[in-house]
Amino acid sequence: MMNIAGIIFSNIYDNAMGELTKHRTVASVPFGGRYRLIDFVLSNMSNSNISSVGIITKYNYRSLMDHLGNCSEWDLDRKNGGVVILPPFSTGPTTVYRGNLEALGNAIPFLESQNCDYVVLCDTTVVCSIDFEEVVEAHKASGADVTVIANREKRDYVCNANDLVISVSDHTVTDLVIGQREDPSAWIGMGMFVMERKYLLRVVRSYVARGRYLFERDYLQKCFVENTIKINVFSFDKTVLRNQNIVSYFQNNFRLFDRNVRKELFFSGAPVYTKVRDEAPAYLAPGSKMNQCVLADGCVISGNAENSVIFRDVIIEAGATVRNCILMQGTRVCRGASIDYVITDKNVVISENRVLTGAASAPLIINKNMHV
Amino acid sequence: MIGTRKKCIAMLLAGGQGSRLTVLTEKTAKPAVPFGGKYKIIDFPLSNCVNSGLDTVGIMTQYQPLELNEYIGNGSPWGLNRNYGGVHVLPPYAKSKNTEWYKGTANAIYQNMHFVDRYDPEYVLVLSGDHIYKMDYSKMITYHKAHDAECTIAVLEVPLSEASRFGIMETNEDDSIYAFEEKPAIPKSTKASMGIYLFNWSVLREYLIADEKDPSSQNDFGKNIMPALLRDGRRMFAYRFDGYWKDVGTIESLWEANMDLLDPNVPIYIKDPSFRIYARNYAQPPSLISETAQIEHSYISEGCMIHGTVYNSIISRGCYIAAGARVENSVLMPDVTLHVGSEVHYSIIGEGSTIGYNATVGRPITVGMQRIISVLGKDTTVADGETIITENS
Repeated sequence: MMNIAGIIFSNIYDNAMGELTKHRTVASVPFGGRYRLIDFVLSNMSNSNISSVGIITKYNYRSLMDHLGNCSEWDLDRKNGGVVILPPFSTGPTTVYRGNLEALGNAIPFLESQNCDYVVLCDTTVVCSIDFEEVVEAHKASGADVTVIANREKRDYVCNANDLVISVSDHTVTDLVIGQREDPSAWIGMGMFVMERKYLLRVVRSYVARGRYLFERDYLQKCFVENTIKINVFSFDKTVLRNQNIVSYFQNNFRLFDRNVRKELFFSGAPVYTKVRDEAPAYLAPGSKMNQCVLADGCVISGNAENSVIFRDVIIEAGATVRNCILMQGTRVCRGASIDYVITDKNVVISENRVLTGAASAPLIINKNMHV
Repeated sequence: MIGTRKKCIAMLLAGGQGSRLTVLTEKTAKPAVPFGGKYKIIDFPLSNCVNSGLDTVGIMTQYQPLELNEYIGNGSPWGLNRNYGGVHVLPPYAKSKNTEWYKGTANAIYQNMHFVDRYDPEYVLVLSGDHIYKMDYSKMITYHKAHDAECTIAVLEVPLSEASRFGIMETNEDDSIYAFEEKPAIPKSTKASMGIYLFNWSVLREYLIADEKDPSSQNDFGKNIMPALLRDGRRMFAYRFDGYWKDVGTIESLWEANMDLLDPNVPIYIKDPSFRIYARNYAQPPSLISETAQIEHSYISEGCMIHGTVYNSIISRGCYIAAGARVENSVLMPDVTLHVGSEVHYSIIGEGSTIGYNATVGRPITVGMQRIISVLGKDTTVADGETIITENS
């Protein structure tokens, strides 16, 4: 069995998710009817026999801690290892860290205390089902310093400002760009890296001491330009859902209607774990109508729902219509209301006969606990 | 203050084969039979214990225990993973002089006397693993104390016409019990025992030892222990329960209890957040309801993919219902597959079964026809085009 530790960045790029990350980390943004974004990464780690995981947090991580609890759902409530939350640490007046490399500076004691050879570093914005043991094997075989997990995106893919774009020819990285894709066959990094633990510690110590703070720009790209690093690209060819901003997040939720996406994310043999809430099954009342929906436990559906992702404990009353929406946990859509292209955060109430309409390119977001 | 004694512990009888559930208990102990879409029968008494503040439960099991053992695990789904107490699965075990199976309900507790003694409890609550109900046992304990009782039996008012199916209590005005009859031909009362007994442990212990010494005894609570207590004039009281309670010992009653969940007039509120029924969770994604699906008046658990028609049914986790398939008035246990054109009527379909293309299980009721509940055991495959209707007496 392989000896790997995991590091998860819970909120390095918070701002892109707008209202959804006002009170929570990116990692704890609800996704797919019953999950939080971190569930996918954490389940991947757990399913890859990674039994020690450090989660780097910056701020607003109460909801994340509430969600994780003792991590027994992910089988990570371990005597040796398990999950450690790594909040910012300071010995004097300081600012919270500016980037992932600087954040890793805070994880030095965690990394030092590990008894493993390899470390997997992960963001939480990219949703996929991946076997990290396989990646580490490939990393070992490649003899590289860093393995970047990446996929090829479709032609119309619009790069995010933080995307690592790597051109490879004959197993050698020929170009490494951030935030811009000039070469359509280039690999786009998925925010997941594999390194040897001791090497990572050396890198973090040396670069943080020199005031560097972005892993991709200040370390990977700099070393590439100076030709002092060997980078290996692990090509991932299964479903990859990148949640870069509200619009892609909105669209990605609806990708779960796709049979192939559903199969590759949930039925690859590696389950996706999440916090258990012990809800009763969903109840569909006489006269209700559902048309292409993802439906979680605990819901009571008496109205119409179409093309929507419905989280746990949602109530849609008779005569209400929901189209192209994401209704998070505890949402209630009252009698006669009609909503289209709306994201309701937790415990939102849409009152009787209310009509709300957003657009695919700009879904309307109703904040947590709001009565509209 | 926490100490080395527990005030009350629960002993759950889960050893019966449940042979009247026919094919459903061929490979599974009755308490481990799936129920209500995402539960097993045993989740109800276990959740009741937790919701009543009991944190120590012994589960006595001897028939097909593997599935049940795995299901209970360390008890964490019910919050019963405790440092002191918690849930313990208690199979029969070899002792220095003799080794034997559990001969009867009383013998099962007798054989686990040392387990109970470890907690030195004042009261022992004896429960069965084959009833569906929600009950706060702490109210019964309060009642027991208030009446200075030595044994309290929970009772339910049943129609006189059904009383001969139960153990019937005859009581005085103060609800003290003066007579007890197991399944009487001519019932003298309508107070039926729910199989929930609360004893002072010191009293029960004494009677268990005496009962064990009697070679003619069947070592059964209803047949031996209760009559002995009555004979000796022990303080026995009937605790009236007026909620929903159902014995799910037969195919017919198991089907009815599942359907009761769908009936708004039946007081079993599985959605009540203040009295949750806990169950082990299997990390399934939310269900996908497709554009061709038609679902009405049904419970749908997670991990399902539904393209077909579902009416008045309970669909457990991981079921697949193809377009053009139809389920009516039925219970699908976990991971059932219905292929295109298949139909299921008035049936209980066992875990992991597959219904082939254009195959039919069960039959709809038309006027003048008797209701037949068809049942398929675990991992059954119904061939394409085949029709299965099982008769159950």
